[in-house]
Amino acid sequence: MRYFGRYWIWFASGSVFLVATSVLGLMIPRQLGAAVELLRVASEAGAPVDMAAIGSLAWLVVALAVGACVARIVSRVLIFYAGRLIEYDVRNELFGSLTRLDPAWYQRQSTGDLTSRIINDVNNVRVLYGFSTLNLVNTAVTYTVVLSLMFSVSPRLTWLSLAPYPIIILTMRLFTRALYLRTHAAQERLSDISTHAQEAIAGVAVVRAFGMERVISERFRAAGDRYVDANLRLAVVRGALFPFVASIGSIGGLIILYAGGRMVIGASITLGEFVEFSAYITALAWPTAGLGWALTVWQRGTASFDRLMHILATRPAVADGEDTLAPARLHDDAFRQPVTFEDVGLVWEDGTEALRGVTLTLPAGSVTAVVGRTGAGKSSLVSLLARLRDPTSGVIRVGDVPLTRFPLRRLRASIGYVPQDPLLFSRSIRENIRFGELARQHDARGENGERAGAGRLRLEDATRIAHLDEAVTSFADGLETLVGERGVTLSGGQKQRVTIARAVLLDPDILVLDDALSSVDTETERTILEELLTIMEGRTTVLVTHRFNALHLVDQVVVLDEGQVVEQGTHHELLARGGVYAQMVERQQLEEALSA
Amino acid sequence: MRGYNAASANTPRKRGQADADGLGTYRDGELARRLLAYLRPYRWPLIGALVTLPLVSGLSLLQPHLIQVAIDNHFVPRQLDGFGVIALVFLGTIVGEFCLRFAQTWLTQLAGERALRDLRSAVFDHMQRLRVSFFQRNPTGRLMTRLTSDVDAIQEAISSGVVTIIGDVITLSAIVVILLLKSPTLALVTFAVVPVLWAVTALFRYLLREAYRRSRTALARLNSHLQESVTGMTVIQLFAHEERSRDEYRRINRDYLRSAFSFVRWDAMLYAMVEMIGSITIALIIWYGAGESTRDLITLGVLVAFIEYAQKFFVPIRDLSQKYATIQGAMASAERLLQLLDRDELIPEDDDALPITELRDGIEFRGVWFAYHDEQWVLRDISFRIGAGERVALVGHTGAGKSTLHGLLTRMYDVQRGAILIDGVDIRRYRVADLRRLFAVVLQDGFLFTGDLRSNVVLGDPTVDDAQIRRAASIVELDRVLDRHPDGLDHRIRERGSNLSAGERQLVCFARALAHRPRILILDEATANIDTETEALIQAAIERMLVRQTSLVVAHRLSTIQRCDRIVVLHHGELAEQGTHQELMQQGGLYHKLVRLQYATVAAE
Repeated sequence: MRYFGRYWIWFASGSVFLVATSVLGLMIPRQLGAAVELLRVASEAGAPVDMAAIGSLAWLVVALAVGACVARIVSRVLIFYAGRLIEYDVRNELFGSLTRLDPAWYQRQSTGDLTSRIINDVNNVRVLYGFSTLNLVNTAVTYTVVLSLMFSVSPRLTWLSLAPYPIIILTMRLFTRALYLRTHAAQERLSDISTHAQEAIAGVAVVRAFGMERVISERFRAAGDRYVDANLRLAVVRGALFPFVASIGSIGGLIILYAGGRMVIGASITLGEFVEFSAYITALAWPTAGLGWALTVWQRGTASFDRLMHILATRPAVADGEDTLAPARLHDDAFRQPVTFEDVGLVWEDGTEALRGVTLTLPAGSVTAVVGRTGAGKSSLVSLLARLRDPTSGVIRVGDVPLTRFPLRRLRASIGYVPQDPLLFSRSIRENIRFGELARQHDARGENGERAGAGRLRLEDATRIAHLDEAVTSFADGLETLVGERGVTLSGGQKQRVTIARAVLLDPDILVLDDALSSVDTETERTILEELLTIMEGRTTVLVTHRFNALHLVDQVVVLDEGQVVEQGTHHELLARGGVYAQMVERQQLEEALSA
Repeated sequence: MRGYNAASANTPRKRGQADADGLGTYRDGELARRLLAYLRPYRWPLIGALVTLPLVSGLSLLQPHLIQVAIDNHFVPRQLDGFGVIALVFLGTIVGEFCLRFAQTWLTQLAGERALRDLRSAVFDHMQRLRVSFFQRNPTGRLMTRLTSDVDAIQEAISSGVVTIIGDVITLSAIVVILLLKSPTLALVTFAVVPVLWAVTALFRYLLREAYRRSRTALARLNSHLQESVTGMTVIQLFAHEERSRDEYRRINRDYLRSAFSFVRWDAMLYAMVEMIGSITIALIIWYGAGESTRDLITLGVLVAFIEYAQKFFVPIRDLSQKYATIQGAMASAERLLQLLDRDELIPEDDDALPITELRDGIEFRGVWFAYHDEQWVLRDISFRIGAGERVALVGHTGAGKSTLHGLLTRMYDVQRGAILIDGVDIRRYRVADLRRLFAVVLQDGFLFTGDLRSNVVLGDPTVDDAQIRRAASIVELDRVLDRHPDGLDHRIRERGSNLSAGERQLVCFARALAHRPRILILDEATANIDTETEALIQAAIERMLVRQTSLVVAHRLSTIQRCDRIVVLHHGELAEQGTHQELMQQGGLYHKLVRLQYATVAAE
């Protein structure tokens, strides 16, 4: 509960004002009682009423009402603001954690599920700190004030009118539990409906082909029936709960009417006290009703809170450690060294082997192509370079330094990575291309308070190298065109070219292209590659590819199969050898001949 | 060509394009009328609920009057006789109110839930009749929203607002009448507060709604930033963009915080001021009532009763605008649902469509042209025949139009030029259901439904019995798989068959096709890589499936192709060659190249 500690002053002062609200508000019935008593005494005596006294009572009520109003506003604002501030902090901290967690962690969660879970949990936490806290404090305060006032009027009547309260509180507890359980049950039925609908939509081809329309409609209707049943079970609780809450006040009223009435007639209390007492018991009704609800919400909130704290406490598997080199000790050309894989192995969590005993050197400034069948381990191999995950066994070095000793962000900032999946963000094309550059500028501004110097390459160069200029000029808004749902939908090839420009603009020491040109036609692929290799002169480049037309341009070709290096050499050497590589090349040439 | 044309089949209707924002298509009256039509079958419970409304109001308003009587007839004169009766009546009103309110909620829900289930089913059924192309245009998520959130919004309005709003109006008018009867002058003084209350509520509701809207927008941005960041976290980390993403998130979060603050502020003010106005009304009643009572115009009991009534007056006024907003939300949802219901991209079927149960002669593609969009032809002038009992293999590179061809045969789409004939009759003349029953289709990605193995083979067809399932299972050797799972045909299938291997899923789909005893089998061979053992299993299954079975096979493997009687080679949407394996190999054309490619692949792997 460290957040309560952080904002304790808000909660504490909010509670003080809550007490003030109760005290001021609950002084009103006493004035009301006094006024009634004045009137009764006057009418019994047949004397004129002291209108001045009545007038001052009325003004006192107004003053109390205004005071209570101000106190109520302040108390609610303080406590609810604190709840919102906590929500704000939790969100920021959570997001921070999420940016540090490694891809392997994300793979263990299912994305859609993760996001909606977080959104839902943060909501529950907000309600926990705002609504729930306010209600619990309010209930405690109201009870204390009301009870002491009631006792001061008549202890006997107080005990009598409180008699049903244990039962009421217990019943409320049962009600809210039943309400929670049945709401949950109804929600599960609703998710059945979703599943049915989802399947009917996703499997529409099968549904049509086998003429299942009627069957599936019947199933949907049956699921709907079950949902109706669950909802009607819920309606029983809801239907009883709300009138029950409404009658809490009335039951108190009845007791006071009967018992209190007899006391008035027996002259052990006055009529004014009777009226005053009625108002007190009314004031208890809502806090009593809200108590059960606040407790349920509290339970749900703490469960959500625990889940969120669990994420906050998770340590990323890939992170800087104690033996990480100080950034100052890194030379400018720290990454312009040969990269060596020494007996590298990678095993997935389910036990399947992605890479086995890979030993490989990427000479500084060379271009290496990695080829092989789907699932051969090509992407896994290059992902190790940027430490998206660390190898299970073996070491990767840049120069003499193991990859794990470089500061993580420095390492990644030196690598231009074009991932297989051309993921873009829903911003303008310009911002997507400048994604890494903007991050660099941002960090530099934070550290030095000044803008970082522009890189060797300009935006125009990057777009030209990636062959984006033509596509960009075809959009009305050019580089400012928004990508994604609210903007244009780029074709697969266009997206890939944006991701290439994004990597190139960083002017990286190491460039990784993970099957980055698969949606680009052969002709463009070749020209893009040629340009890339020109600007990458003197830097190390690794490219994963399924096409072989341009591979005579690279320095070495590595053939992977089932996670192992099976062939290695130049394009021409491997062709001459007539092995796996030569067969793949031949097959592709045939394919091209066919689809031409 | 009896009115089959490209325009009616493939252009989305104008109305559909308004779908994204989509409001304002219907007038409120029409909307209400069409919604009420769904309530009609459940009118009796609804009428019952309506009857309880004035009763509930009456009972609840009787209570202050009872207090008044108690004060005037018993407390002031200190008269105990008959006081017990008043207490009993009071108890009666409490119990009565409780029961009636319960009945009211229950009856409303009964009618509302059932009506909404009908509406939901109607939308679902309608979707079952829409063309396949509709589903390709509309993302699953959006259609799901219609069936869940939109229906729920209406449900929410029904269970919380609509009916009680009538009750509120009854209560309010009753209080006005009662107060005027008890004391016209004091009533008017009390009502003087109402405009103030109304104005305060309206003002703060307006401010609240604005703040709420801003906080919703900020929250939506916050959540979509989160969603996008989680999806693209690898890229963010690769480009060392974490700091900047965090700052962006913090900035949106701060906007959200600010709007949330103003929401909290207005909400606190609304709540507190309504309470304050309530207390001030009491002061007003005391002050003015005291004067009235000294002039003997009202009794003390009336004065106390007035205070009670005034409090009952406040709650409905406070809640009215809230309920109105809920109703508006429901109307927007209702509109989106009705729009979906009014889509009429159905598969055309003649009124006097012909029945068909058997394939006698064969299938003929006669000069078939087809395009998904405008004039981008996927198939051009395709003509060939599949005789009864014949097995035809469709061969060609990716995108040659092979899958489109069988989609046309089962009328997932309709041809744009030319015709497909079965036994000499255009397939568009047959009943769609009958036509589809002739075929069994095995698609590349074997879609499985949640349920068990049996239901996935039967697919709801009552004519498929267990014996048939077992025979089909043994032909494709699914029985070996069944033996591995102790519960056999009752084996549970999780969503999308995720608890079966890809190979097992294929076999289930094979069994499914055979169990329906198709006249024509359509097999779209999977291209995906599976391990060699499963591959052998599937090959063997295909071999046995094709024995004495009229089939159209979209084939990728040479072994499958060779098992067919005739081969049709498609190239860029045109028919390039056809003939037997030997004939085509001798021609040395496209097929010859494909076969060489196939062997190269086999060698490479």
